[in-house]
Amino acid sequence: MKAELESIQTEVLEQLKEITSPDDLETLRITYFGRNGKLTDIMKGMGKLSKEERPIVGKFANDVRATLTDAFEKTKKELEIRKQKQQLTGETIDITLPGRKPAYGKAHPVIQTLERIETIFTQMGFQTVTGPEVETEHYNFDALNTPPDHPARDLHDTFYLTDGKLLRTHTSPVQIRIMESQKPPLRIIVPGKAYRVDYDVSHTPMFHQVEGLLVDKHVTFSELKGVLVSFARQMFGDQTQMRFRPHFFPFTEPSAEADITCTVCQGKGCRTCGYTGWVEILGAGAVDPEVFKAVNYDPEEITGFAFGMGVERIANLQFRIPDIRTFYENDLRFLKQF
Amino acid sequence: MNVSLKWLKTYIDFDFSPKELADRLTMLGIEVESIKHLGAGLEGVVVGKVESISPHPNADKLIRCQVDIGDENNLQIVCGAPNVYQGMFAPVATIGTELPTGITIKRAKLRGEESHGMLCSEKELALSDDASGLMELSSNLSVGMPLTEALGLNDVILELEITPNRPDCLSMRGVAREIRAETGNTIKYPEVALIGIDIEGDTDIREITSVTIADPDLCPRYAARVIQNVKVAESPTWVKQRLESVGIGAINNIVDITNFVLMEYGQPLHAFDYHKLAENRIVVRRAMENETITTLDEVERKLNPNMLVIADAEKPVALAGVMGGYDSEITETTKDVLLESANFHPASIRSTSKEHGLHTEASYRFERGVDPEVVISALDRAAQLIVEIAGGTICKGVLDVYPGRKKPLKIRLRKDRVNFILGTSIEVEEIEQTLSRLGFGIEPNQTEVDSFDITVPSFRLDITREIDLIEEIARVHGYDNIPTTLPKGDIPIPPLNKHEKVRKCIRNFLLSSGMMEAVNYSFIHPNSFEKIRLNDDHPLCEATKLQNPLSPEMSILRTTLIPSLLDNAQHNHNHQINNIALFEMSSVFINGNEPDRVAGILAGEIGGGVYGNPYRPPDFFDIKGIAEGILEVCGIQGYELKQTEEPTYHPGRNGEVVLGETQIGIIGEVHPGVLENYELPFKAYLFDFDIEKITDAAVFSKRFEPIPIYPSIQRDLAIVVDQDLKSDMPMDIINTTGGEWVESIRLFDVYEGNQVPGGKKSLAYTITYHSATETLTDKAVNDRHDKIVQRLNKELGAELRM
Ligand SMILES: [Zn+2]
Repeated sequence: MKAELESIQTEVLEQLKEITSPDDLETLRITYFGRNGKLTDIMKGMGKLSKEERPIVGKFANDVRATLTDAFEKTKKELEIRKQKQQLTGETIDITLPGRKPAYGKAHPVIQTLERIETIFTQMGFQTVTGPEVETEHYNFDALNTPPDHPARDLHDTFYLTDGKLLRTHTSPVQIRIMESQKPPLRIIVPGKAYRVDYDVSHTPMFHQVEGLLVDKHVTFSELKGVLVSFARQMFGDQTQMRFRPHFFPFTEPSAEADITCTVCQGKGCRTCGYTGWVEILGAGAVDPEVFKAVNYDPEEITGFAFGMGVERIANLQFRIPDIRTFYENDLRFLKQF
Repeated sequence: MNVSLKWLKTYIDFDFSPKELADRLTMLGIEVESIKHLGAGLEGVVVGKVESISPHPNADKLIRCQVDIGDENNLQIVCGAPNVYQGMFAPVATIGTELPTGITIKRAKLRGEESHGMLCSEKELALSDDASGLMELSSNLSVGMPLTEALGLNDVILELEITPNRPDCLSMRGVAREIRAETGNTIKYPEVALIGIDIEGDTDIREITSVTIADPDLCPRYAARVIQNVKVAESPTWVKQRLESVGIGAINNIVDITNFVLMEYGQPLHAFDYHKLAENRIVVRRAMENETITTLDEVERKLNPNMLVIADAEKPVALAGVMGGYDSEITETTKDVLLESANFHPASIRSTSKEHGLHTEASYRFERGVDPEVVISALDRAAQLIVEIAGGTICKGVLDVYPGRKKPLKIRLRKDRVNFILGTSIEVEEIEQTLSRLGFGIEPNQTEVDSFDITVPSFRLDITREIDLIEEIARVHGYDNIPTTLPKGDIPIPPLNKHEKVRKCIRNFLLSSGMMEAVNYSFIHPNSFEKIRLNDDHPLCEATKLQNPLSPEMSILRTTLIPSLLDNAQHNHNHQINNIALFEMSSVFINGNEPDRVAGILAGEIGGGVYGNPYRPPDFFDIKGIAEGILEVCGIQGYELKQTEEPTYHPGRNGEVVLGETQIGIIGEVHPGVLENYELPFKAYLFDFDIEKITDAAVFSKRFEPIPIYPSIQRDLAIVVDQDLKSDMPMDIINTTGGEWVESIRLFDVYEGNQVPGGKKSLAYTITYHSATETLTDKAVNDRHDKIVQRLNKELGAELRM
């Protein structure tokens, strides 16, 4: 009987190797383990064995059964894996088909630039404030030390409104409004729209500016340089050099224009920078004492600096759009590029 | 302003290359906009003399020339110019020269005859467009001389941008003073010596003319000289070359000299024909009402008493400080010249020049301010040059009426203040050196240590305060030499800005929902209101007009963002871009206020446009969903949507978003009439919100709500109701009947069509039931659900759809 069991074990293990489908496996299982299966039959014959033989053969029979059951299980798993593999192979897709991108919008390139500028100054402790775009002569010019017959007014070709007011030509009037209502120390930036009568490839009648103002008991020109140099490094990269040239603005003294190393040629000289290696990015200066007087600050005690930059200009150092009027056409093919 | 380096060097020495000088001036605040090398490309061109000519043996139109260029042997040059003749002086481009026009001169054989260079026309040298023949040179030139030298082209021109505060730099002397500040070199002023030498004649000027200033407030100083028996002619070459190099055209010797001195001293001068002045005298006065003058440009101009004129006994003969009169101008027949050197009030010149749209070298300087102390030296210099160049004699004496004489200004300057403002440690010696090189007088203050009394030179009209002196020291010290430090002061604590927060939330939401951000001009066309179907009496039509618009399209300030967005849709559609999803955030201009708004448009197609996510036209509920999202991110609840009669929208497909009594926005389908006005062939949907009102209502405080621990149960419910039933009515019943067990209701289908009876529609909801305190049983939920069905049936006549 033991021999019989041994031969069945060998027989079954051999046959299992040939099995390729779950159906065949089931047939095989029934052939041996079914109610009339070969192994079942043998087990039924156990009763005929002697009392001494029974436990020995019984144990052997159970071992064979366990071995074969394991073998069946193993084969079954293998078949399943094979089947799944086959199925998955059949499910292969063309992974080069286009992805289904969730819709997402993009901020306007000028606003993107404006937000970057704002973020940098916010990190330096500047607070964002805004002010009206329709202004009076007083805030736009007079309070900024630019009386009516001052030639500096020629630099600002102003849009006048029929009610005698005007569209601010810079965001600087907000300086005055803030200083009138608050006491130093002040650290503000004023992002916003400004307007000048100008319309060509490098000028739009409406443009964006960021104005900055820092006023305290003892603010120096060297600190103006420090703030603007750190701005330039963060905005244009660590390698950026900045130079300050004397200039003129009615509401700052001393006044400066600041250039950065040309972003196109890294300072080597190219057409963009007129072969100077520098491009102008902003105007700045120490707040003129007349401006402080206009807002009842004591210029002997309080000093400060202000700066202002054109956002389109800075945006275009990066984007290099040949005609900046394109910014305001809102052509979706354009807006999607940024 | 243009500056010739050759000319500049006659006043001051410097060793800088043009590029170096440009850099130094720029860093002093005199920005150099361009550097132009005049003779660039003409280095290999020399003066040649055609010694002999002979016909070309093989070509009728060519001539063989033997040309002397100062070498041992003459060059043979074959030439086809019609005007060549024996003895002619003409420019010769030698072998190897690359001309500015791009031609490189090589040894050549023309029809078998050797040619060793090229005789050139002006066009070939890029000097002018004249290609009619060879450029004829003066026979006084020496053969072989570089052409650039012969024509004064061995010069470099710097184009300077002079800021409005620095009129003192609008002259060669002014620029020389800046170079002195940089180098310390001395300035060589031209020698002017009129008195006591033989060019001053016997006639006393006081006997033959007079100057009266009737309005001294507008004319602080007026001086005149008379030069008799001049010969008006062409100027000598050196004068013409000087003027041409800085871009001033030559006219005649007298006028050219006034321009020459203008460039030299920055003092505008004017020469009158003495005999054309009525009673031969000068009156400086305001123009009378309706007086006229014909200026040198032959335009007759109407005058008024705001304008200052130079008049003779009868009539205006010049627009003071702006332009001379045509009738008294210097002509070939002029014998005696009255030469004016005067100073005028800047604001007056500025307004006169503006009113006439007449901007001249003179007005440019006067309106910025001219040194009143230079009047006489410039006048004498010009008088001397006239005698030297045009002959004649100067009448004895000068008329100098100077009612506006001022004492030199003195300013206290403290060393500590300099360093306090700049953040530097500049020493006394540097301050003294800088200011004295710039022409300031310096005296140490008697009482204060390290403090000075500074006398401002008359040409620095811009310096009136200590801070102005500090700027002078800073710019000469060099801004780049000022340290770069970070602010030491306290950082003020900014107040919370709720408006900004709302803006950011809305913007982020709109961007994340696939809308592109637009930025439009604040100005629109006045017909925009009509295009969006607003009647004239609509409050939004009250727009502010621009006094000086660029064009009608940009002539009023917008009161609404809608026309701009519709324009954008039209622009994109015209360029075959039809998946339009745009928004804009901007203030608009209403009644003196600038409310901040956000508006958006969906039109054409939405969706990805790829397989599995095809394009589809947007509908009302797309725009409504966006509006709901805007309100949700701002924490606004409990608003209602009410239909309006706003004419821009489809009357049955719009709604205003109302919170309590306040309208905070409006959404809807664009009226077909508006679509037609913007030539849009598809439906468009708009939202338009008032950001200030959203800000008022926004709630950002959030509190934790426990995550449900008991399971929820879902039931679907499809009902058939009347077609015109508003979908919020069943919602309401489900909510109130289901009570706190109703966690959410989702309308997942709306159907009208064959499957339901006419006049009916089917609404399908998924209701999620949940209790915070127990696990709901099926039975309990079914009971509650049945009650809902019964009430829907009883109150709305809703039938369950099977
Ligand atoms: Zn460059």
